[in-house]
Amino acid sequence: MPLTDSEIEEIRNILGREPTVEELAMFEAQWSEHCSYKSSRLLLKLLPTTGKHVIVGPGKDAPAVELFPGIAVVFKIESHNHPSAIDPYDGAATGIGGIVRDILTLGAKPIALLDLLYMGDPKDPHANWLIRGIVKGISDYGNRIGVPTVAGDTWFDYAFNIQPLVNVVCVGIAPIDRLVLRGPRANDYIVIIGNATGRDGLLGSSFASKPLSGEDEISAVQVGDPLMEKLLIDVIQILVDRKLVNYIKDLGGGGLTTAVSETAADYNLGAEIHLDKLHTRQELTPLELLVSESQERMLLAVDPDNLPKVVEVLENYDVMFSLIGRFNESGRIRVYFKGRLVADVPAKELARPRAIRRSSKPPTEALKGFTPIVDVPQIESIEKAIIAVLSSPNIASKKWIYEQYDYEVGARTVIKPGWGDAAVLRLLDGSRRGLAIKGDANPRYTFLDPFNGSANSVAECFRNLVAVGSKPIAIVDELNAGNPEKPEHFWYFEEMLKGIAWITEELALPIVGGKVSFYNEDMYGKQIKPTSTIVGVGRIDDVTATKTFDFKSSDSVIVVVGITYPELGGTEYLYRVHGLEIGEIPRPRPVLEIRNAEFILAAIKRSLVNAVHDIGLGGLITTVIEMAIAGSTGFNIDVSKVLCRGCYRLDEILFSETQARYVVEVDRDKLETFLSLANEYNVYTSVVGYTSDKPTCIIRNGDKEVSIFELDFLKNIYEETLDKELE
Amino acid sequence: MVKVAVIKFPGTNCDEDVHHVLKNIVGLDSEIVWYKEYTTNRYDAVVIPGGFSYGDWLRAGAIAARNVVMERIAEDISRDVPVLGICNGFQILVEAGILPGALILNSSGKFICRWVRLVVENPKGPWLSLTRDHMMLDMPIAHAEGRYYIDEESYRRVVNALPIIRYAQGWNPNGSLYDIAGIADEKGLVLGLMPHPERASELELVPRGFSPGGRIIFDSLAYSLKKGW
Amino acid sequence: MVEVIITNKKAVRDPEGETIHKHLILRKGFNSVKSVRAGKYLLLTVESETPEKALEIAKEICEKLRIYNPVVHDIEVRLRG
Repeated sequence: MPLTDSEIEEIRNILGREPTVEELAMFEAQWSEHCSYKSSRLLLKLLPTTGKHVIVGPGKDAPAVELFPGIAVVFKIESHNHPSAIDPYDGAATGIGGIVRDILTLGAKPIALLDLLYMGDPKDPHANWLIRGIVKGISDYGNRIGVPTVAGDTWFDYAFNIQPLVNVVCVGIAPIDRLVLRGPRANDYIVIIGNATGRDGLLGSSFASKPLSGEDEISAVQVGDPLMEKLLIDVIQILVDRKLVNYIKDLGGGGLTTAVSETAADYNLGAEIHLDKLHTRQELTPLELLVSESQERMLLAVDPDNLPKVVEVLENYDVMFSLIGRFNESGRIRVYFKGRLVADVPAKELARPRAIRRSSKPPTEALKGFTPIVDVPQIESIEKAIIAVLSSPNIASKKWIYEQYDYEVGARTVIKPGWGDAAVLRLLDGSRRGLAIKGDANPRYTFLDPFNGSANSVAECFRNLVAVGSKPIAIVDELNAGNPEKPEHFWYFEEMLKGIAWITEELALPIVGGKVSFYNEDMYGKQIKPTSTIVGVGRIDDVTATKTFDFKSSDSVIVVVGITYPELGGTEYLYRVHGLEIGEIPRPRPVLEIRNAEFILAAIKRSLVNAVHDIGLGGLITTVIEMAIAGSTGFNIDVSKVLCRGCYRLDEILFSETQARYVVEVDRDKLETFLSLANEYNVYTSVVGYTSDKPTCIIRNGDKEVSIFELDFLKNIYEETLDKELE
Repeated sequence: MVKVAVIKFPGTNCDEDVHHVLKNIVGLDSEIVWYKEYTTNRYDAVVIPGGFSYGDWLRAGAIAARNVVMERIAEDISRDVPVLGICNGFQILVEAGILPGALILNSSGKFICRWVRLVVENPKGPWLSLTRDHMMLDMPIAHAEGRYYIDEESYRRVVNALPIIRYAQGWNPNGSLYDIAGIADEKGLVLGLMPHPERASELELVPRGFSPGGRIIFDSLAYSLKKGW
Repeated sequence: MVEVIITNKKAVRDPEGETIHKHLILRKGFNSVKSVRAGKYLLLTVESETPEKALEIAKEICEKLRIYNPVVHDIEVRLRG
């Protein structure tokens, strides 16, 4: 988005003269929404970001949290929505590249990736093409750099047919005393390493700060080079191990301009840059050199004494580099091209613009989230309803996607995709310690009720981490919204943010970082379903004690933990079976989340449960069926035993998406201990049935048989839905 | 002290995993060797691990196979140094002409990451010394260009002479001809296989329904380096 | 027979071509090769009354079915032989 007249006036005041064309380009790149967060900065202060284990909070290149004494986990989320809409393959691939480099800036070793994809309806040809391109892009890039993609979240919805949401996460590990936290010093050399600079991605950030125009958007497209990325990962580990660098920064949005100005501003320094020294692919003007967003480039601040050793490492590992200048104490960024001064701007003013207070107004559409569900027709066939829900692309097995990802590289993946509510990785440090990681969002919830919807996404992530047996320690979030200049779009952003701020405080879960992606609308001005993506990390003391959700034995007890309410508003069931996206969505219940979570963790610790699965999309019955399919074990349950307040209809019991609930499998001989522990923790439980040695799934309501399915029949539906839609 | 080299090309990404198993699980002295730094007559065994050397550009393993380090490794092979090629390593050995056949795009056209069951046939040499004929081993695959191709005539010549590792009945994930997942040279000195034994050497990494079938390959090496083969 | 050759647009990076050039061709001393571009080759067998019609059909297929991505790819459609 080009600079406004008032912004240009402000630049004149800052400089005390007319800006050069290079200086204007620098300001435009740096002040774009994507880089400066001008629309969201004020509201982001609402979030609770500190905690006793937080090492690096929001605002820096990557958040870091103490996972175990002396060991930090570094994780960050990033969106690449706009590029993925026009070139899904390269857009998604370069998204992965960028987020991995952010983790490298702290000197951490990247050990996992997550992909959180909110894409269109696979039946729409254009959306189908986007889906396949996005998954292949992540697969080709992630696999090549040797970082396993271990978990994700996927949602298919017509609202994303034109503008998909591609949120990616990278997780890294480092000993705390190895984190590169110092900062550059005056006199440090500025070394740019990685790929040569070219004309690609000119003003890419400014492209991400405006809605899709439908015109030729090629200059915003960048092609990734995972081979160079892998080399960067390797050399940075070596340089950090040998303590040869003072500071590392990624050249991402805003290119060289942003990297240098943010670094200088953050550390009260200035810089002198000679653009003609930068290694390039083609002849570029100074302006192009300043704002190009060519991929796989990073900035190193190197003490002059260390430079020869750094050069030796870079040359040995075939990584291109150029020495383009030095940091100094002037506080100004002075840019030269072949000896000519082309820009001279104060670093702090460039890197920190004033925030804009945007106005916000609920649209009439928001009333959908306040409409109580009263007149939902009774369904004639529970069977058909179960099949419809199980075969929803949002619920069905995502094997088509995750089998394209190498989730095993690194030899750390203990709970692999398709087996647990979260991915579990071991630290590989000789101990049994590890971490769990998961990401969640529900665009339908946040579309109907952005405050409670985003709160529920935090709760869902929290439950998923608990279900595998980990203690949630921190989250990051990505807020994907429409046009911040339209009050009726901005309202969603504001409400989502407030919802997250509220529940993270209630759950005592610090939010250590986050991103905002605006302008997610198509060329007609229609915004996507606003989506808040939450990614959380959990601490695990013993990876061998974690729990997957497959039923483990054929004569054990199935117990529902938590209480059910008739909450069908905004559910997957309501949409798939009745075609409605309306209603009061399930209420977030933070107090019950905490209580039930503590109980589940205690039960896991005492080996009282075989399998644990959180209840989410599709309700209770979907959860039980998923456990049966994964474990190849049938079941026999009586839904009249489900503790439910105010449920009158069968579909309310089966498909309600009430929060703070889990389904667990308990051995018969441990049941009594399990139930009395629940009592101690003041937690509601309902014994609803048993696993079976026959491959059938029997659902009863008291004496009446409601449905019987062959397990194989359900398994085929669950496993083949995405294959059919996407092959 | 016996020393094992784990070769690293630009783009190799399973070197640390292999090094971890050799050093921490099996107890061998292992070293990750950057391809430029490999010298002959220095190592007792060589592993070429998986990954995407040179980005898999042109064809998987094609560029690495033409690198001078492969000539040095071929020299060491003539000195009876055992060489194991895993996944991309297998692709490199095949492109270099050290093992027969070719590895091309999976019949599904897509990358596949999945655990499979294998069966060992005619085991010979240091990498299979602890296995028996028809032994079943479980390991994960993770590749896009893993479909093994060999022409009928060559196959007929090799099928009874060389150790072969096949995907067990019903487990062929990629359309490999004759279900071949791995193959060795006549003495079993050089073994290449697409599945990843280093990912199947520890119980805590094995999913339900499978067992750690990769461990025995590395144990065989340790045993053979001590006792001969 | 219609040949379809898909390459990256000039302005778009071609890491495959660059890597083959730098790490294979130049490394083996073939300095006379100044650049390499990599792409995809498709050979379509099209039944039609005239060769021109076959070309037209192939072009239509490439556009409609997004055989190439016009944002990043150049395409050359030509008759074989």
